Amino acid sequence: MADTKSKVKETKAKVTDQKPRIGVFVCHCGTNIAGVVDVKAIIEYAKTVPNVVHAEDYQYVCSTPGQKKITDAIKEKNLTGTVVAACSPRLHEPTFRRATKEGGLNPFRFEMANIREQGTWVHMHDPAGATEKAKDAIRIAVAKASLLEDLTPKSVAVEHAAMVVGAGIAGMQAALDLANAGIKTYLVEKLPSIGGRMSQLDKTFPTLDCSQCILTPKMVDVGRAENIELLTYHEVDAVEGFIGNFDVTLRKKANGVLSMAEAEAKGISGGGCNGCGDCEPVCPVIKPNPFEMGMKPRKAIYIYHPQVVPLLYTIDFDSCIKCGLCVTACGEKKAIDLEMKDELRKVKVGTVVLALGYDMFPVENKREWGYKQFDNVVNSLELERLICASGPTAGHLIRPSDGQTPKRVAFVLCAGSRDNTGIGKPYCSRFCCMYSLKHAHQIIEKIPGVIPYIFYMDIRSFGKMYEEFYYRIQDEGAKFIRGRVANILEDPVTKNLHVYAEDTMLNRPIDLEVDMVVLAAAVQPAADTDRTRKLFGVSCSQDGWLLEAHPKLNPCGTTTAGVFVAGVCQGPKDIPDTVAQAEGAASAASIPIHIGKVELEPYFAQCIEEKCAGCGMCVNLCPYSALSLVDKEGGGKVMQVTEAKCKGCGTCGGFCPGGAIWMQHFATPQVIAQIDAFLLGGAK
Amino acid sequence: MAKAKGYSDPKMEEKLKDRYYYREYSNPDFTKKVHDLARTVNHMCFQCGTCTGSCPSAPRSSYRIRLFMRRNVMGLEDESLTDPDLWLCTTCYCCTDRCPRDIAPTDVIMAMRNIAYQRGIVPVNFLKTVQAIYQSGHGVPNNDVNRAVRVRLGLAKDPPTTHSYPEFLPGIRQIIDHWHVKEKADKIVAEAEKHG
Amino acid sequence: MAEAKGHDYALFLGCIAPNRYPGCESAGIACSKKLGINLHPMKGASCCPAPGAFGSIDLNVWYAMAARNVVIAEKMGMDIALECNGCYKSIYEVNEKLKHNDDLRDMVNEVLKTVPDPTDPTKKGTMEFKGTIDVFHLIELYSDPKICGPDRIKESVTRPLTGTRIGVHYGCHLIKPKKERHLGDTENPMWIEELVAALGAEPVQYRKKMQCCGAGGGVRGYDLVHAIDITNEKLGYLHDAKVDAVTEVCPFCQLQFDRGQIEIKEKFGKMWGLPVLHFNELLGLAQGMSPTDLALDMHAIPVDPFLKKIL
Repeated sequence: MADTKSKVKETKAKVTDQKPRIGVFVCHCGTNIAGVVDVKAIIEYAKTVPNVVHAEDYQYVCSTPGQKKITDAIKEKNLTGTVVAACSPRLHEPTFRRATKEGGLNPFRFEMANIREQGTWVHMHDPAGATEKAKDAIRIAVAKASLLEDLTPKSVAVEHAAMVVGAGIAGMQAALDLANAGIKTYLVEKLPSIGGRMSQLDKTFPTLDCSQCILTPKMVDVGRAENIELLTYHEVDAVEGFIGNFDVTLRKKANGVLSMAEAEAKGISGGGCNGCGDCEPVCPVIKPNPFEMGMKPRKAIYIYHPQVVPLLYTIDFDSCIKCGLCVTACGEKKAIDLEMKDELRKVKVGTVVLALGYDMFPVENKREWGYKQFDNVVNSLELERLICASGPTAGHLIRPSDGQTPKRVAFVLCAGSRDNTGIGKPYCSRFCCMYSLKHAHQIIEKIPGVIPYIFYMDIRSFGKMYEEFYYRIQDEGAKFIRGRVANILEDPVTKNLHVYAEDTMLNRPIDLEVDMVVLAAAVQPAADTDRTRKLFGVSCSQDGWLLEAHPKLNPCGTTTAGVFVAGVCQGPKDIPDTVAQAEGAASAASIPIHIGKVELEPYFAQCIEEKCAGCGMCVNLCPYSALSLVDKEGGGKVMQVTEAKCKGCGTCGGFCPGGAIWMQHFATPQVIAQIDAFLLGGAK
Repeated sequence: MAKAKGYSDPKMEEKLKDRYYYREYSNPDFTKKVHDLARTVNHMCFQCGTCTGSCPSAPRSSYRIRLFMRRNVMGLEDESLTDPDLWLCTTCYCCTDRCPRDIAPTDVIMAMRNIAYQRGIVPVNFLKTVQAIYQSGHGVPNNDVNRAVRVRLGLAKDPPTTHSYPEFLPGIRQIIDHWHVKEKADKIVAEAEKHG
Repeated sequence: MAEAKGHDYALFLGCIAPNRYPGCESAGIACSKKLGINLHPMKGASCCPAPGAFGSIDLNVWYAMAARNVVIAEKMGMDIALECNGCYKSIYEVNEKLKHNDDLRDMVNEVLKTVPDPTDPTKKGTMEFKGTIDVFHLIELYSDPKICGPDRIKESVTRPLTGTRIGVHYGCHLIKPKKERHLGDTENPMWIEELVAALGAEPVQYRKKMQCCGAGGGVRGYDLVHAIDITNEKLGYLHDAKVDAVTEVCPFCQLQFDRGQIEIKEKFGKMWGLPVLHFNELLGLAQGMSPTDLALDMHAIPVDPFLKKIL
């Protein structure tokens, strides 16, 4: 892989021997560039820059005729390098590399000067300054282009397997798609069951499908899919490697219970947990049940909810007192191991989809709404459980203080969303409007004579059939009050709540007494998101959601090649959008696996063997473990680069005391030439 | 000075005919002026009504702080300054604590009052406090009944403030005169008393 | 800062405490001393000045006059302690604003240059806001375990207020706006209740505890009926909660609740008769001071029903 020593010498020779002939192409970008700078003056200037033998401008250099100008000029003027002064290389570097290649040059003989994002857009009110800056940018780019060398991208093999982290609806969908595309998929879930938030919901908007009814078939599919290896109660512990070859260390958290397969492997024939549930009644430990938002008790040995996949009991070792009653109850199945420890395991995958989900914002931080101060103020996920047939009240909505059926229920929208105070979240949580409409419908359906009051700033019913749903709920009798709730106070005797707000449409302050308040709390990234994303080298935006590679044109990718995102972890979205993004992420994640190899930008470090003293200091510095020391012919040591691991960061090149490391495409002479061109000006 | 509440304003009729955001009444500098005085992001109001919902004055008057915020965003200077409700804010800062856009509506009201005062629109009680402070250094000065009680408690009959050290009064007057506040207050109060 | 100086503070009096409820002043000084807080007079201080009146008219004068008061304490080399929420707004807030805004500080110092020196009124050019001190409300010093704390207050009590039910009115400018203060929750704070409990009384929760007394922002002077209507609502909720007294930490709130009840009787025909006591006065009673020493006879609403429960 690292057989490059001779090539380094050869290309270096090429760089120095050839007399550079550079062509400069200045793009108008419509008026984006030409509307600010003096393009003619820039062309005239470019012609005076050393090594420039050709300079022209065009309306859109990225267009087909624009690209043809590049290929033609290369042939006609016998160019050795090209410079396009236009937009950011993130947009059109591939386009112009292709054009350079078609002209007969190595595509890496191309250099881009960004005069739009870093020029005309930021200096639109200073045309003269922007023109001078564009001239500087071109001069610097020409200096580098004059020293560019031919490079060949490397390709590496891609492991025929994928990993999906998080098994909510996004992760399940992505895993199913990958598996159905013939790819071995590891589905990793930190909880004992797949299903995620959707399994906590009663119904879904706007169709009012039973959430469990549409979810459980998918859960069963996931459980049975041959290509999916289901790893519930697992966490990602460490990640090494790169696209095509991620080595992921997983932690199988001790659940204290052997599956039937595990029991078989241990020689307990016919044993292991079959989900019979004999253990649970004998367990003396009682804790709040997190699946039921703490509104129902749970034993230390439990199943997460009745429809769990896989059907396997779990011991919560934080609360287990190891009394052993469950072991006795389990009997001959010998499924329970109270001494079980966490286990680590390594798997190799080509690509990864992160579907890490969300948590509710701790809305008690907005003190004015009394959550966790007043019994009858609940958040919307708690309401889901209180109206769900499988919930703690078997679907009968009651108020927590006295078990009475509420007749007046206030819904507080934007409870912590659209909040710039630093306490809440500045973003719109995007699905609260719609689920609150759904909640209004559900209580109207369940409780005769109930009046839902929906306090809103804007109703954001943007999806297919959503506005129609809004119409329907208003028709059913929900009262919409356009005003954000200022304060909620409790009547200490009746435990009723006074909701203070302004009906901004009536221009009137109101004090509405209700039996119960539901806060449509904002959502925030799930607790473990930050740790997990850092393991995969994925960035996040200011608010903690995972950062997509491009908000419009690459919404499933990340800045780490081979790692994709799906669902709410990338930003709040409802179930249809989540599923759509999951399918997109799965599709994107399957492409490198199906192609079987990926091309890497050839920006690798190269060792100039005759200068390398074999000190090995660079080996320890490399953040990607891409460097190693090997035996040199004729004795001594020499550094060797594993190109597939090298990201071209330049840490080693900057450090090497002997100047023995050559950073391809960012080589020292190239960078020095750029600096010189900037500092010394460009007189011929 | 501010008008009494419950007036009927023929100018309002005029304004209502104008559906172009009161163009001729609107002053874009107003928003800026309010910003400079209030030092808050006053232009960011999205009219949610949290302020009015928090306001102790709203349930007992026509004062709507949200409306003042709206006028401020649209630059409706005259309409803001001539509305007598401007002076019904108790400055309790509930709206400021709860505003989701992190604006300080209370400080917007204070800024508008400052601008109103510059235009001579101000209730006299505010000016009488100024006159009292100019006179004695205290907004609520001492009196003989209180002096007797102070002595009984073992305190000096006057507190160790400007009351005991009147030699500091010229300095205080200098500060007030620097912005000509006493001069203006006297003028407006005299005017108001002339008109009963 | 305060600790290094052995809990010495410059006492900023303001207007209403010394000139209407002198018991607040005498109790403040005497009780604090027993708690290890020594209060020193600020010679030549003025009105803070009234944040509602001056703040509404000319913020510049408000900044400059408040700054002059701060500079008196700066020259004494002491942090300021005070006992009125209105003063707290002016003195605390201007001190912080000038510390953090160069433009305001420069403007104010330009004017202060022309003002006489607090130690020698014949000298000028020595007044300059430097931003060297901090400003505290006495109640936050009482509450702070590093300075005093509820335990120490409890130890100082010789006549516990046992058997009395007391509602706490925090007032507005002590804790709001919360971003510019540092005293925690503004929706349902409980730290003054802890101090009331330390006196042996039972702190009582009531509806709209955090609502304004109604007096601020110049409203008391502008529209008395409007102002006392706000007070009246709160008095109703306090009555519902069956309190024996309401306590506050602001003489202006005290004036509004105390004299306001007379005005409510006049305008609305309702006499609540609810005793109103500044926390300093309560503390004085609990530390054994007599009602006469506290000038409780200066209150418009007789405090006697409350006193009967404890004397």
